[in-house]
Amino acid sequence: MIDLISYPVVYLVLGAVAIFLRPKFANTIGMLSIISSMLCLLIVSDSQVLNYQIMSFDNVFYEISDLSFLFCVVFLTIGLFGKIFSVYRENSSEKGYVLLYIASALGVVLSGDFLTLYVFWEAMAITSTFVIWSTKNQLSLDSGNRYIILHLIGGLILLVGLIGLYGQTYDLTIREISLNTWYSWFILIGLLLNAGAPPFSQWIPDAYPEGSYSSSVFLSAYTTKTAVYVLIVTFAGNSILIYIGIYMILYGIVYALLENDIRRILSYSIVNQVGFMIVGIGIGTELAINGTSAHAFSHIIYKGLLLMSAGSVLYVTGKRKCTDVGGLYKTMPITAACGIIGAFAISAFPFTSGFISKSMIVESSYIEGLEIIWYFLLIGSAGVFLHAGIKFPWFVFFHRDRKLEATDPPIFMIVPMVSLSFICIILGIFPNLLYILLPYSVDYIPYTGNHIVSQLHLLLFSGLAFFMALKYLERTLTITLDIDYLYRRKYTFIKIIFSKIVSYFVSIIEHFKHTKINKNLYLIENTLLNQSSISIMLSVITTIIILVFLLNI
Amino acid sequence: MKTRKNIIYTIFVIISFTPYLYLFYDFKKVKFSVDNLVGFYPIYGFFACVGLIIFAKLLALVLKKDEDFYD
Repeated sequence: MIDLISYPVVYLVLGAVAIFLRPKFANTIGMLSIISSMLCLLIVSDSQVLNYQIMSFDNVFYEISDLSFLFCVVFLTIGLFGKIFSVYRENSSEKGYVLLYIASALGVVLSGDFLTLYVFWEAMAITSTFVIWSTKNQLSLDSGNRYIILHLIGGLILLVGLIGLYGQTYDLTIREISLNTWYSWFILIGLLLNAGAPPFSQWIPDAYPEGSYSSSVFLSAYTTKTAVYVLIVTFAGNSILIYIGIYMILYGIVYALLENDIRRILSYSIVNQVGFMIVGIGIGTELAINGTSAHAFSHIIYKGLLLMSAGSVLYVTGKRKCTDVGGLYKTMPITAACGIIGAFAISAFPFTSGFISKSMIVESSYIEGLEIIWYFLLIGSAGVFLHAGIKFPWFVFFHRDRKLEATDPPIFMIVPMVSLSFICIILGIFPNLLYILLPYSVDYIPYTGNHIVSQLHLLLFSGLAFFMALKYLERTLTITLDIDYLYRRKYTFIKIIFSKIVSYFVSIIEHFKHTKINKNLYLIENTLLNQSSISIMLSVITTIIILVFLLNI
Repeated sequence: MKTRKNIIYTIFVIISFTPYLYLFYDFKKVKFSVDNLVGFYPIYGFFACVGLIIFAKLLALVLKKDEDFYD
């Protein structure tokens, strides 16, 4: 029991409980629990292993490696800055859920066996859904429903794979898995779904922009990057990941070009950036893995920064679409400056954090002689500048002046933005600060003449292409169809059948509604049971688990 | 529209300096035959972006719908 003091996740969970009990002090408690979790992570020696036994499984709660340490550091850093950014958000339960979300992401990264990983994995899906629902409007409710259904399906696929793994090897320690068995494919698909891989990349731009102005900062950081972490540990070097990553890179660019919603553009660019990481995992050499880890680190920082500046625009003006804003650089100069630094970092301009990390992935494909892959990565590098590097700041802060009344946001929103911009530039100028944290030793020099010249040439001419084609990139009030068409429009009859079945259960609940526990039941009914499809999903999950267990016996 | 023209001019001015960047480029260190060519990166970057925009526009012909499509 005393060992739990050395487990960083505990502080976050305690903090969340404290927030639910004392919502008045949500901000202080949130920051304190993240800081204590950070201190715990730094102080506790890395030989620390926390074991526990459950149902005759030997499980490992806490096993830290160089890689997991890197991810923990960046998770807690963005958590702290995000917490400062969300000081003005008047929804204390959201702050509690955010802490639980961070805790479960940390739990995944620190876990030493697949069972613990799976528990935290599902906790992450559920807590992040509550974070999305905390926006409390119809849009977030709907997209939260779609989000959790997809993630429960993904978790289920992962679970089937893990049961297969245990059935065949009787060993659940997290290790490299080769792709020559049926269950390894299930595990891979389950993990990739969380990383936003095709065909379901669409959940990222569907769910993340529906968070509140502050919570989308957290949403963007954890789910996809934990998936990247687990993929590095389990499936590094499988060439199929390269092709999946390339698809994600191009998908992100093309869809972001057609998008109008500011935060949705940034969400598409998450798919794009995670695509780079997946390619790095697929290449699998030491340089590529280093590059992937470094890119995950710098990506979380600059994406947090970009979403903070988009969040500030939403907070101040209440507008979330490109067609509604423009010319904000005059009234929101600090936000604009921070947004532009973030945009430069994501496009990997020299002397920003994106440059020192992404060039490692591109370079690793170059060294391995993967010529075709390298061409695609160059297209990706130029395209990032096109869709996030210029498009985001141009349509939000410049372009047509809509004469919106705006000022820079209050001080607690400015501080984290400025600090994160500072980190982006410091890491770009002193790359060794990041390189010492990487899992393998680094003998890579980002600032060679060839790297800088080629990157500048790519980016400048990409910028030229953007402004020459500006007439065709004007935003319109439209959306672009994606795979979600299948479950949002085409098969609505399935939804109707589901709701018919569930309305039966609801009628039973109605019966109890007038008793003393009415308040609690009403809550459950509203959030879970009324969302008919979710309860059906849960029953399907249990049935399949039982079936798989029976088949295995 | 005036700002757009100004920006294009600015970019052209910046771009007119880009050939000098090749002073820092070491042609002995290249691996594939293409990056040995002067002007590979600018031309490739430009046409990659134009290609992406055209592809996105073509995709929009099929997939673009009104905002209230799902309501």
